[in-house]
Amino acid sequence: MAEILLAVERLKKFFTAKRGFPNPETVTVRALDEISFMVKRGEAFGLVGESGCGKSTAGRSILRLVEPDSGRVTYAGEDILAADAARMRVLRQKMQIVFQDPYASLNPRRMIGKALAEPMLVHGLGTPTEIEERVEALLAEVGLPPDSRWRFPHEFSGGQRQRIGIARALTVGPELVVADEPVSALDVSIQSQILLLLRGLQDKHGLSFIFISHDLGVVRWFCQSIAVMYLGRIVEIGPIPGIFDEPLHPYTQMLRRSSPVPDPEIRIEPARFGGEVPSAVNPPAGCHFHTRCPHATDICRQIYPAWREVAPGRGVACHLHGS
Amino acid sequence: MATAFKVEPAEPVLSVQGLTTSFRVSGDWHAAVRDVSFDLAHNETLALVGESGCGKSMTALSIMGLVPKPAGRITAGRIMFEGSDLVSLDREAMRRIRGNRISMIFQEPMTSLNPVLTVGFQVAEALRYHRAMGGAEADRAALDLLEQVKIPSAARRFKDYPHQFSGGMRQRVMIAIALACRPQVLLADEPTTALDVTIQAEVLALLAELKQAYGMSMVFITHNLGVVAAIADRVAVMYAGEIVEVAAVRELFRRPRHPYTELLLRSIPRVDRHVSHLETIEGQVPSIAAMPAGCRFAPRCPLREARCDAPPPLAGAAHHVVRCWVRSEGGGHG
Repeated sequence: MAEILLAVERLKKFFTAKRGFPNPETVTVRALDEISFMVKRGEAFGLVGESGCGKSTAGRSILRLVEPDSGRVTYAGEDILAADAARMRVLRQKMQIVFQDPYASLNPRRMIGKALAEPMLVHGLGTPTEIEERVEALLAEVGLPPDSRWRFPHEFSGGQRQRIGIARALTVGPELVVADEPVSALDVSIQSQILLLLRGLQDKHGLSFIFISHDLGVVRWFCQSIAVMYLGRIVEIGPIPGIFDEPLHPYTQMLRRSSPVPDPEIRIEPARFGGEVPSAVNPPAGCHFHTRCPHATDICRQIYPAWREVAPGRGVACHLHGS
Repeated sequence: MATAFKVEPAEPVLSVQGLTTSFRVSGDWHAAVRDVSFDLAHNETLALVGESGCGKSMTALSIMGLVPKPAGRITAGRIMFEGSDLVSLDREAMRRIRGNRISMIFQEPMTSLNPVLTVGFQVAEALRYHRAMGGAEADRAALDLLEQVKIPSAARRFKDYPHQFSGGMRQRVMIAIALACRPQVLLADEPTTALDVTIQAEVLALLAELKQAYGMSMVFITHNLGVVAAIADRVAVMYAGEIVEVAAVRELFRRPRHPYTELLLRSIPRVDRHVSHLETIEGQVPSIAAMPAGCRFAPRCPLREARCDAPPPLAGAAHHVVRCWVRSEGGGHG
């Protein structure tokens, strides 16, 4: 059994927002409603789901970029949520994040060389000469020309900017990278370049990933196991490819059947459901998915199904798969 | 899909011939769409597929007469529709066609819907304008349309505003507006790209169903080859402003001829099976101001030869044409 690098237990994060005009009401967005999962060392763990399911909030809460309300996050045995500021600085060297749009996270007036050197200076990782050398090595590692150091973010294409985003995450030598939709904004031919780069880094450095994506094809290719989220909760966890070949939860089945496949012989099957998709502001009572579920029964409308482990590493929250 | 029992007019519904749309970039005119030709048959769905900047959207905007001026203009070609050349039509004549005989839907419905008007009003508007219907009559027809695009409890939501709808429902409203006047041709520009996959599947099914019911033809623009496989009858692949390959959908996915199409198909991770080797296409699409003189894909092409320095024509048997010196001869790669 591989070592558990990260354990997330009953992680919860609710946001409040004001909605409506002219008389705004305060509403609670149940972005993360007690999710639990584990990431093994060296593994790429996928978090999938549709917009608003809480997958990005999960990534951010784990790194404490947003402070979770409750729950536990344990990194290599250490409780992250209990760490003080000084300890958090050390832990952040172990855990980094790559965003969907690296352009938004790069200072437009700062040259790439400086942007890459900064995290190392902040964390005091070496002398200026060592840092210079490290920047050069990082650029080579992510496949950017050495003269990129003297260029500004706007001089790069989308794919190159994502390479910069990855290089910056690597500056401090992390063990775990949270990649939040890292290839979603890229064209297909560029997407495969970035996926191959990430796979190479995983192999070479033994990196672990939390890979957040809405694209099941990409997740199937890159990850070893996944958690499927729906309205702030995890509905199914399992290893790849098992979870795609035999999805247990009706939502996983729906996602799988709706995902387009580049083969005209395999036509996608739309769900027969036609109504509005509920939101995490006011999730339906009982199982959140019951309003769209073809198998919903009375119990689904009343009681949220308990989590059930059906096989090692394989679990589901669905009354169909109750005891 | 064509049925053997229906008598179909042999004339294409829409015929684009040698379309070139150019843009001015620092003083010089460059073609964003170059020598694009295709015919659209009755009740056919033609997918225009390609990556960002390949000219697929600009082709649709050219057909609609919506090329942004003065930065861009159609510099060559004809767009034949119902006996007239759309390129030469004046503004008034074009207005009578747009949203009436040819309609268009876009990726982000929120930017096309007016936020301060109810959706019912906006659907009825097309009917009042093009069909000169009175208020009550147009409202009745609009409600019928909203039901056809399967908006739940349409009557109750008739007077709701766009922001009260989800992305998928807004796109349904856009489809209702586009179909209000029963157009011959629907241009759909990445209509499902901003939607979640489950909603995308529903909207694709709805479009296919309505196309059949209305007997219209559709040009479906997308970058997603999975979506192409799901909806298209025929596919035109675009690269750097040109069509590089056209074939029926099964033929294209089974026997891609152009190296770009082939690499693209092999660079997609698939949800239905494990892909051991993911292909990549080295380099980037050339910029509009620095197009190669010969084959535009040559700088990134693994099959490049000396003759690729000259621009290849779109050649081959009628059912499968390809713009490639290496692959247009013989039987391709089998």
